[in-house]
Amino acid sequence: MGCYIERVVCEREVTHDAKELIPDPAMRRRMSRVVKMGVMTAVECMGGVEHIDRLDTLVTATGWGCLADSERFLRTLIVEREQLLNPTPFIQSTFNTVGGQVALLRHNHCYNVTYVHRGHSFEDALLDARLRMLDGDGKEVLVGAFDEQTPSQHRIMGRMGLFRRVQDGEGAVFVKLTTTQRDGVVAELTTLDFPTEPLDETSCRARYATTDRTALVWNDYAEAGCYPTASAHAFARAVRMLSAEVPEVVVYHSYMGSTPTVIVVRWVGSLV
Amino acid sequence: MRIVVGGVGLVTALGVGVAENLTAIRQGRSGIAAEPALLKTLHHLPVGELAMSNEALQTRLGLPEAATLSRTALLGMLAVQEALADARVPEGLRKGLVSATSVGGMDLTEHFFAEFLVNDRAGRLREVRMHDCAASTEAIARYNDIRGYRTTISTACSSAANAILAGERLIRHGVVDCCVVGGTDALSAFTLNGFKSLMILDAEPCRPFDESRQGLNLGEGAGYLVLMRAEDAAKCYCRVAGVANSNDAFHQTASSEEGEGAFLAMSEALRRAGVAPEAVDYINVHGTGTGNNDRSEGQALRRLFGAKMPPFSSTKGFTGHTLAAAGGVEAVLSAVAVHEGFIYPNLRFTTPIAGLELIPETTFRTDVEVRCVLSNSFGFGGNCSSVVFTKEEK
Repeated sequence: MGCYIERVVCEREVTHDAKELIPDPAMRRRMSRVVKMGVMTAVECMGGVEHIDRLDTLVTATGWGCLADSERFLRTLIVEREQLLNPTPFIQSTFNTVGGQVALLRHNHCYNVTYVHRGHSFEDALLDARLRMLDGDGKEVLVGAFDEQTPSQHRIMGRMGLFRRVQDGEGAVFVKLTTTQRDGVVAELTTLDFPTEPLDETSCRARYATTDRTALVWNDYAEAGCYPTASAHAFARAVRMLSAEVPEVVVYHSYMGSTPTVIVVRWVGSLV
Repeated sequence: MRIVVGGVGLVTALGVGVAENLTAIRQGRSGIAAEPALLKTLHHLPVGELAMSNEALQTRLGLPEAATLSRTALLGMLAVQEALADARVPEGLRKGLVSATSVGGMDLTEHFFAEFLVNDRAGRLREVRMHDCAASTEAIARYNDIRGYRTTISTACSSAANAILAGERLIRHGVVDCCVVGGTDALSAFTLNGFKSLMILDAEPCRPFDESRQGLNLGEGAGYLVLMRAEDAAKCYCRVAGVANSNDAFHQTASSEEGEGAFLAMSEALRRAGVAPEAVDYINVHGTGTGNNDRSEGQALRRLFGAKMPPFSSTKGFTGHTLAAAGGVEAVLSAVAVHEGFIYPNLRFTTPIAGLELIPETTFRTDVEVRCVLSNSFGFGGNCSSVVFTKEEK
């Protein structure tokens, strides 16, 4: 069974207004920056809030989760000595907040899960979605990744010396998948792999490329900087690169030296 | 393909190991103390805390004293060690790990952050290296030599049930040959204050499904199961017959009055297991002890089982609510229930919830045959998951 990509949207490609994408003003108000960014990207990817109704699978991924709200709650509990705390940042700090809020927008009861495995989170979410599709449980599937930068996180990771060679980053990417190669499908996800050892470009190409025009996207942090789910941005770029001239792209990613992930996407010839 | 539970491991406030936990439950001894002894907090609230410091846990695990590991990782390492020793996984099988956590390394981060707030050049960096959820999973995998596919799931209090769902599927699709699944969460000031701010912590030991219930008690612990193909298993607790996930999609933290998410998760898990509601012999309910959860879950149970309600209990009166670990802790108890023919008591129950009239089991029963158990785990974000275990003869 195929795993087809209908649409990929990054946070900067969201064109609609927050009021359209998240109609409930109370929901909008309570959302932290990353939750709003994630939910807006998800709804934009679905082409409007009403289309959330048709989802049967919603899988989200985040390395850090809702960092700003976690930090806000932690800071207040320390400063206020555990007294009279506002529960909102705690409520919104759970890793599954974006997935929960997307479901809540249209009271969609479908399968909903969140992966939080650092640099693998997005690929783990894709694997979950793919296996659900193979089982016949997932036909209309939304997979997304999000992470946010905060001043404290930047400062702490800077102290660890992690940003000497890469730029810190953040972002949200959602992808709409389907099992049928229908109109509007832009690409096919053909391979998803978790090699146990790092690969070099030659061995990666030898192992995964099926054409001599296959392009490689290699540890790509150019678009949104370096953050745990940055490979979702690299994946989005790979899908945009596909054409008759570049019929296949291999995305190789190893976040901060961890074991790599590989995603292969193939052109299906109907790029809009 | 038949996927079975081949080994189990458990650490809660009741003790380290499945045997210690079962002894306490059999004796009706709760793990909930009047206030934390180890957790640094100004609140005097009942919690289910394991009476072992991080240093004691490290010694027990044979780790160097200087190691800086989150308590979440330490609890998980112990439970996974027990589960793998129990399962005796044959050489050559590719082992995976799907671990659930909601707090990750928050216990260490809290300590770091207090110093960092005063001076951003202060605080020991090794205390934040374990902040993210994956850090505990990777530490557990390293310690227990799990080299195959590893991942972490976090869907609040339903997390570990979703880890069971994911692990079962990974084996079925041949991504791994055998998969350790479950969850771990340590107590933290973050979660204690979080639930306090939501005003859902009982100042007394919790009373799940009782009319007088006032909220939950937080607990800590880890519960893991080794899932394997039936033909690979040396020992077999039960079959993983059906697992399902649904979203209540009602409110970020509260459950709907009619328990729609819970109803859908339970119905779907039973459908996948090919089991009729009448065939369920015991339900380990989510039963946190909050007004909202127990009423909502109770409604869902009534809708599904009608007047023919099977024996049920919440074991959170013993362990406290172990958050992301709860689905793992309770799945271990449920697997043992099928294997041994146990039904666990629900502590501190006297009066049924008005309008629901649901009466949980209050004694430890060994006089029944338990062929099918349903275990529920629900969480913030509307996540509802149910697991069905059935008897499988080896």
